[in-house]
Parts: sequence; C-alpha cells; structure tokens
Amino acid sequence: MFLRSVKSSASQSSSHAWKRKIVKLTGFGVLASVLTVAQLHIVLAASLDEVKSRGYIAVATEDDFKPFEFVENGTPTGFDTELLGLVKKKMSIDIKQDIMPWPGILPGVTTGKYEAAVTAVLVTTERKGTFDFTTPVAESTTYFATKKGSSVKSVDDLVGKVVGAQTGSAMLGDLKALDSDLKKKHGGNGIKEIVEYQSYPEAYQDVGNGRLDAVANTQINLNSLIQTRPDMFVLGAKVGSPVYIAWALKKGNTGVLQLLNGALLDIRKSGAMYQLQKKWFGATFESMPQSVN
Amino acid sequence: MNANDYFSILQGALLTVSLSIVSLIIGIPLGLGLALIRWAKLPLLKDLAHVYVNLIRSCPTVTLVLLIYYALPEFGVSLNPLPAAVLALTLSTTAFNCEVWRSALVEFPKDQLDAAYALGLNQINRMRLIVFPQIWRASLPGLFNEITLQIKSTPAVAVIGIVEITRAALRVGSNTYEPLPPFIFALLIYSAIVFVFLKLQKYFELQMKEKGYL
Repeated sequence: MFLRSVKSSASQSSSHAWKRKIVKLTGFGVLASVLTVAQLHIVLAASLDEVKSRGYIAVATEDDFKPFEFVENGTPTGFDTELLGLVKKKMSIDIKQDIMPWPGILPGVTTGKYEAAVTAVLVTTERKGTFDFTTPVAESTTYFATKKGSSVKSVDDLVGKVVGAQTGSAMLGDLKALDSDLKKKHGGNGIKEIVEYQSYPEAYQDVGNGRLDAVANTQINLNSLIQTRPDMFVLGAKVGSPVYIAWALKKGNTGVLQLLNGALLDIRKSGAMYQLQKKWFGATFESMPQSVN
Repeated sequence: MNANDYFSILQGALLTVSLSIVSLIIGIPLGLGLALIRWAKLPLLKDLAHVYVNLIRSCPTVTLVLLIYYALPEFGVSLNPLPAAVLALTLSTTAFNCEVWRSALVEFPKDQLDAAYALGLNQINRMRLIVFPQIWRASLPGLFNEITLQIKSTPAVAVIGIVEITRAALRVGSNTYEPLPPFIFALLIYSAIVFVFLKLQKYFELQMKEKGYL
C-alpha cells in the first residue's frame, strides 16, 4: 500500500516540472532584469562567425524533465537529446552539450555562456521579449483527465463538476477561460469549483478518491500519467488552445538561430521529428507552425 | 534502482566530499586570517573584512554560485563549472569560519597578551604560544559545526551542472519515477560523511582532554 502510493505520486514528477517551468520564469526574470539594469551585457552570445571560428555551439540541456530530457545510467537521453543528436548529424559544426538543472539554463543563455537552451521551453509572450525561439519541436495543449468509468467525457460534461489544476500554471488559466466560456454557453452554469493544487500528484490522488471529477494538465503529461496508471485514469477532451515548445536562443543571435532552424526543419520535413514525438510523447504534432517568434 | 544508479550517487558523494574538503582547507585558514584582521582592528582592512563577511552571509549559496558562473564572464572572467563551484563554496565558508574564529578571539582575555609582552615574547610567539592554542580549542565545536553545514550546502552548486549527491539522487528518482529509494540512499551517505567528521572532532577533543585542556 505504502509503496503503491509512493509510486503513483512519484510517477507524476514530470508534470510537476511543467508548472515549475512556467512559474520559475519569475525567479529567472529577476536575475535577468538585474543583469539588464546593471548593463552588464558586455559579453554577448557568440555570433555565427564567432561560433564558427571557435568550432562549436554551446548548448544547455536539463537533467530531470522526463520525457523531454533526463539522465539514464549516467547518459543523457529523452526527446530533446535525441533530436539534438539528429541536428548534430546535419551540421558541419560541433555542438557541445552541458547538462544542468532548469534554474541555471535560461540565465546561461541570456548571459551568453550558452548559445541555446536545448530543452523544453514553453513559448510565452514574456519570453519572446528576451529570447528568439527555434521552429517548434513539440506542442502542448491542456486536456482534462478523469477517473476510469467517469460519465464526464466532453468539455460540456464539466458543468457542475469539481476540477483541479496546478496553482499559477498555464493549465489553470486555460481552465478558468473554459469556465467563463461554459457559463456563456449554459446560461451562467459553469464548472462548480476549480481547486488549485501545489503539484499534480495530489490532484491525481483526489481524482482517484473522488474529491475531484477531473484534473486539467498538458496532454503530454496526462498521457504519461495514463501510461503509468491505465487502471485508474482516462483522457478527457481538449481544454485550451495549443502552445508550443521550442529551443531558446538569446534575442538577436540570428546566425546561430538560422543554422539550428535549417537542421530542425529538415528533420521535420523528413518525418524524423514526428517519429521522435511518437516515441517520447505518444503523439505527433504535424500542424505546428514553422515559426513561433 | 539498479547498480548503476547506486554507483552514480556514490560518484556524487566523491564530488561532495572533495568539494567540501577543498573549500574548507582554503576557507578555514582564510577565515582565521579575516578574523585576526578584524580582531587587530587593522584600518581599512577590518572594514573590508566586515563588509565581505556580511555580504557573503546574506547571500544564499545558490545565488552566489549563479553570480560567479554567469555574472563573472561579463567582467572577462569565465570559469568552468568546477572552479566556479570551488570558488563559491570557499567564499561562503570563509565568511562563516571568520565568525567562528572571531567569537573565540573576542572572548580571549587580553591581559594574557600583556603578560606575554611583559615576559618578552615577540608577536609571533605571542600568537603561536598564547593566543592560537586557546582560540583553536574554543573554536573547535564551531568549526566542526561549519564543516557539517558546508557538506550540506554543496547541493547549491548543482545549479551549474555539478552532479553531487542530491542531484545524482534527483536524477535517478526522476528517471525511475520512484524518488524515495535514491533519497534514502543519499541520506545514508550524508550521515556516513558527517559521522566521519564528528569522529574526527571527538578525536581532537580527546587529545585535548589528555593534555588536560578540557
């Protein structure tokens, strides 16, 4: 019993990380703005010429963001790492990859220590002010999941129900937007209550024990949940509109951006990118735009 | 958790221990130096030491690590992760060690110095024979306390990609989706490391007892 509950909560640690990504922008933003205010931008990310004369592009990747990137038996793996492997093959220039935790990654790009964050960065309006993004590598859409056998199937079934999401997350924002849409559509009747959670394992637990009728999270995370616990959960319907995940470069580093984009678009055209998406996320995102900047 | 996972956490332990020992070997004497500067009230230097200690004590280690790794290149000093980690940990422990030494120094009875002066001991001998043995004994518990704290503050350097015990355990947990076993293993390793240092402290204290100081 004990082990079982540990396993079920542990299995969701990746969804945990999702919100962290969105929320942590704030902490990172403080460092970034301090650096901007202090006008310390003397060292810029290496331009294409500098990169070429140096002989390599420096990139930073996370170590605990399964399925995007993680370390298995001491070797970095995951969607982004394998995609980077394909990019390396396409390019004449070497790519040097450092593995580090999320909080160090975006500051590494803004300060010029790394040319690119080869990690699952959600493309947001705020980040577009500081970063240029490569062509998207994955799509993230908010879905809801329910307990197996639930009568809640479509978005309209959520009227009068209790739904959970992580506090401060983009998924919570999507859920609130859906609630106001439902109220318009159903004459003032919307979701009965939106419960905010610190992290997803608790929310999943509450779906399991019936305190929640549904939980809203990204499709990729819910897929991973359902893959681990197919006896307990099923995927519901789409709650929000898609957001994109791309690699981030320092704003204005167009030369290196074009180099990476060229390789990524080739890989997408050949279908290899979709194969990797299928392998790691269980879904392909073929309708992604070419550019998100 | 497979054998490889245990091994990766043990590798992290090697890094934790080496980072702690290197930073302490530099930081404990440096802290003594700063404490002596403040104790002797050397003009300007004592103020600089004062500012340094208070700045570092108010700066979280993670922030210090990030500043050294990412902000120093803006001033033309680009360090690799390992030297940056050693520098941050040393800067941090020096400040805390300075305060441990200083607390012993401010308690030191100055009339003993006067007596030594009257006996014709020169400054080096006054320090070597009178001051240092006494502040060493008084500082020992505080220094060992700082040593154990230093071991536990090494996870801060994980932010620039150094894989010490905690980061290695986190990696294993996020991969196996079972975070509890690696963390329990990590806790056991931390306990073993701290245990060794506490034994060392006991050994020093026993020696002092035999000499009749305690």
